[in-house]
Amino acid sequence: MNRCILTVDDSSTMRQMITFTLKGGDFEVLEAGDGVEALEIAQGKKLALIITDVNMPRMDGITLVHRLRALPEFKFTPILVLTTESDASMKQKGKEAGATGWIVKPFSPEKLMDTVNKVI
Amino acid sequence: MSLWSRKAQASGPVADLDPAPPSGATRQALLRLAGREATMLEGQVAFLQPELNQADSLVGEASRTLGESLNTLDRSVQHQHRLAAEVQVAMAITLEGDAAAGEGFDAVSNSIMGTLDGFVQNMLEISQSSMQLVSEVEDIRTRATAMEEMLGELSEIAGRTHLLSLNANIEAAHARRFGAGFAVVAGEVSKLADRSSALSATIQEQVNGTRLALERTDAHAQTIASKDMTVAMASKAESQKLVQALEDSNLRVKGLVEQLEGNARIIREQVGHVVRCLQFEDLVHQTLQACLQELENLQSQARAWRDFESLLGSEAEEAGALETLHDALGAIEASRVQFRAVKSASLEAGDVDLF
Repeated sequence: MNRCILTVDDSSTMRQMITFTLKGGDFEVLEAGDGVEALEIAQGKKLALIITDVNMPRMDGITLVHRLRALPEFKFTPILVLTTESDASMKQKGKEAGATGWIVKPFSPEKLMDTVNKVI
Repeated sequence: MSLWSRKAQASGPVADLDPAPPSGATRQALLRLAGREATMLEGQVAFLQPELNQADSLVGEASRTLGESLNTLDRSVQHQHRLAAEVQVAMAITLEGDAAAGEGFDAVSNSIMGTLDGFVQNMLEISQSSMQLVSEVEDIRTRATAMEEMLGELSEIAGRTHLLSLNANIEAAHARRFGAGFAVVAGEVSKLADRSSALSATIQEQVNGTRLALERTDAHAQTIASKDMTVAMASKAESQKLVQALEDSNLRVKGLVEQLEGNARIIREQVGHVVRCLQFEDLVHQTLQACLQELENLQSQARAWRDFESLLGSEAEEAGALETLHDALGAIEASRVQFRAVKSASLEAGDVDLF
C-alpha cells in the first residue's frame, strides 16, 4: 500500500506538525512550501494523499487543487484542504476545484489521522 | 485611518464633499493638515512595523524550538515504549514444545507446579509401594516362622527315626543270626535320620539368614516409606515458596509495565494537545501578516498625503490635488483585504468536512 503523503503549507511549523502527526501513523511525508513547489515535487511521484493550505505565496491551495486535478496521475488522488478559512463560499470553491475534504486549522492529530485513514 | 479617507469612505467622491475652493489661509491650513497626517501615519507605521515583525519572528522561533523539543520528546516516549515492550517480551518466556508455549511467566509457573505435583505423586506411589513391601516382608516372616515350626517337627521326626533304628538294632542283636538283615535296614534308617537332621539344621540356618535379611529389608522399607513423603512435601513447600516469590515479582513488573504504558498514553494525549496548540504560530503569523498588510496601506496613505502636500506646496490647483488625493485613497481602500484570514478565536480543533 502506498503510504507517501505530500503536505503543502508556507508555515514550516504547520508542515512540522503535520509531518509529526503522519509519521506516527507510519506514513512517508514530503513537504512543499507553496503550490508551485508542490507541483514540482509531485511530478512523477505516486502519492497516497495531498494535504494543502489555501493562503500561500506564488500559488494558493485552490489553484493547486485545480492544477493537480488536470493531471491524469492525480485525477483520483485524495486531496485535503487544511486551512484557517472556514467560510462556506471558500469551502465551495475547494469542492468545485476537486478537493476531497476541508479541515479547519488548528487540527487535532487524532482527527487528522482519522480523516487521512478514511480518505486513502 | 486618516480623517480624509474616513470622510471619503463615508460620503463618496471628495468633489461631492467640499466643492468650495479653499482660500490662501485654507490652503495653508490644508498644507499643515496634510503634513501632520502624513507624519502621524509615518510615525505609526515606523513604530508598528518593526514591532509586528519582531513579534512574528519571536513567535516563529519559539514555535520552531517547541517543535524540535516535541520531536525529541516523541522520540523519548517511543524509546520508552520500546523498552516496555522489550520487558514484556522478556517476561513472555516461551516453553518449547509445551502446550502453554508463549503464555509467559504464568505458563512457566504452572509448568513447575505441574512437574512438582507429578514428582510428589510419584513419591507417594513409591511410599505406598514401600508400605506394601513392609506388609509383604511381614507375610514372609510369618511364613518363615511356620517353616521353623515345621523344621522343628521334622527334627523331632528325625530324632524319633534315629531312636527307632536304635531299637531295631537292639532287636536285631537279640535275634542274632536271624536279625542280621534287619540290622542292615536299621543302620540305613539311622543314616537317613542323620541326613534328615543335618538337612533340617541347614534349612534352619538358611531360614535364620532369611529372617535376618527380612528384618533389614523391613527396616529399609520403613525408612523409605517414612522419608519419601516428608522429603517430597518439604520440597514442594519450598518450591511453592519460590514460585510464589517469582509470581509476586512478576506481578510487580507487570504493574510497573502497565504504569509505564499508562504514562505513555498520557504523554501521547498531551503531545496531541501540544501539536494542536503549536499551530498558533501559523495562526498568529497569518494575523500579523494581515496587520503588516494594513500597515502597508497606512504607509500608502501617508505617501498619498505627502503627495497632496507636495502638490499644494507647488502651487497646483487645490481641486486637482484633492482629486489626486481622493483617487489615491480610493485605490488604497480598494486594495485592502476585506476578510480576516484567521477567524479562530481559540485553539480548539477545527471542523472536518468530507465532500
